[in-house]
Amino acid sequence: MAVKKRYGFVIDVSRCIDCRACLVACRVENNVPLGYSRIWVKDLGVQGTYPDLQHGFVPHNCMHCQHPPCVEVCPSGATWKDPAHGLVLVDTAACIGCRQCILACPYDARFTNPETHVVDKCNGCIQRVEIGLQPACVATCIGGSRLFGDFNDPASDVSVALRGARSLQRLDFTQGEIDTQPNIFYINGDVQDKSIAPHAPQYTAAESFWRKFAIPAVLTGIGAAAIGQAAAFTKQLLDGEKEFEE
Amino acid sequence: MSEEYIPLVEQKRLRAKEIKKHNLANILTHWFNVAMWALLLPTGIAIMASPRLGLVPPLWSEAFRNVLGGTANLVRFHYTIGLLWMSVLTFNILVGFRRYFLPFAARGMLLDGDDIEWMKIKPLKMLGLAKDKTLPPQEAYNAGQKLYSYLVVLGSAVIGASGATLAFGKYVLPTDWRWIIQWARPIHFSAVGAVVAGLFIHVYMGAVFPEEKEAFFSMFTGKVSGWYARRHHAKWYWRVAAEEAAWEEGVLAEGRERAAQVTAGD
Repeated sequence: MAVKKRYGFVIDVSRCIDCRACLVACRVENNVPLGYSRIWVKDLGVQGTYPDLQHGFVPHNCMHCQHPPCVEVCPSGATWKDPAHGLVLVDTAACIGCRQCILACPYDARFTNPETHVVDKCNGCIQRVEIGLQPACVATCIGGSRLFGDFNDPASDVSVALRGARSLQRLDFTQGEIDTQPNIFYINGDVQDKSIAPHAPQYTAAESFWRKFAIPAVLTGIGAAAIGQAAAFTKQLLDGEKEFEE
Repeated sequence: MSEEYIPLVEQKRLRAKEIKKHNLANILTHWFNVAMWALLLPTGIAIMASPRLGLVPPLWSEAFRNVLGGTANLVRFHYTIGLLWMSVLTFNILVGFRRYFLPFAARGMLLDGDDIEWMKIKPLKMLGLAKDKTLPPQEAYNAGQKLYSYLVVLGSAVIGASGATLAFGKYVLPTDWRWIIQWARPIHFSAVGAVVAGLFIHVYMGAVFPEEKEAFFSMFTGKVSGWYARRHHAKWYWRVAAEEAAWEEGVLAEGRERAAQVTAGD
């Protein structure tokens, strides 16, 4: 049996020079409007102590989490984790633009596209990957910092890079039952910084109202009506029909 | 139901007599509503795929997505049918507002003293109490039906407004105002839920409950028997009977007048 694909990114932080070619390539490939971006490079500033100094740059985008809070909160299933390869995708034609996923994302990887009026985010350039190409940001990365591939394929670029890594970090977010398990692995550098740390998912008052009050109230009302009618129908059956009275 | 004693001969006459209860516009609107709800309710349920809500079994969601060809098509289908539903209802109300809607609302929806009394006694009777009390006579729609009509009219307005917000809000609301879309979801859901809870009673009373069998068939023929009308809606029955008698008297008077003119001419 074929092993399921698990697409994701490996980012070698030591190789990023903050040229931002990846941002340009992504914008061109995905028609991202000016002033917005699906991917970012965070500048962590100078790290270390003299003379062992380095400038930390952390490329990042949607983490394509194993357990994405954005998918959990989407009311219509317009965003989903594709079971075929694990990328978190958005069906823009189905999205109603409620922004609940934007607030729920611990990595701020989503935004409202002013041209489509709905949510936008990194889709791993699935349109390229499906025809055997690398995502635009990976293909254009001159330093070889960004890598993409199938973690379940031992021969993929990402698996090879992970095996040879000097250090390995993930920006995992855990809180209660939430454990995002992101599918971006950072190698060969330290990315643990306050400016890039994930935050707790935000759930809207409307969503909480719906979940905690509206659903129980509606189910109780419908349940009571259904039970009442079932009881009346049972009584009707037990009484039998009165041919001439009806 | 009235507990009035009706002699056998009168019972037989009433059973044979037909009284018009619904006009064609009512009947068509009713079955149009049924068709729209039959399409909107299952697809609306299928759209709510949020795992955090944990409301809809994945099998249901996936089945409708597969049948219609994906989430976007499912959402589009729901929007389109919803828009059609609201457009036809709005058209009906606008076109027939003065001629049909206002007279219907005045007699079919406004509560009077008998309705209030009915609401006090009926629940007790349903619990097997107040056996010595008789239900006051009712118009063409009893107080329970009138109350449900409020829920349906208000519910439909809320469903339509919140549905339009969900479908088109993204095009008109700036990002800072998208909380309106967020609230439209639970409001849409709650309004549908309230109408559906009443729908259980409406469908049972209209289609299954033996004493109301005629109500169900009247939604096809538009007519009920005099027997049913007098037993269940006595106030309406006597009003119609008086109107009929007045019409008959008018026809007879006209006939007498013409006969007199013919005689005078001779």
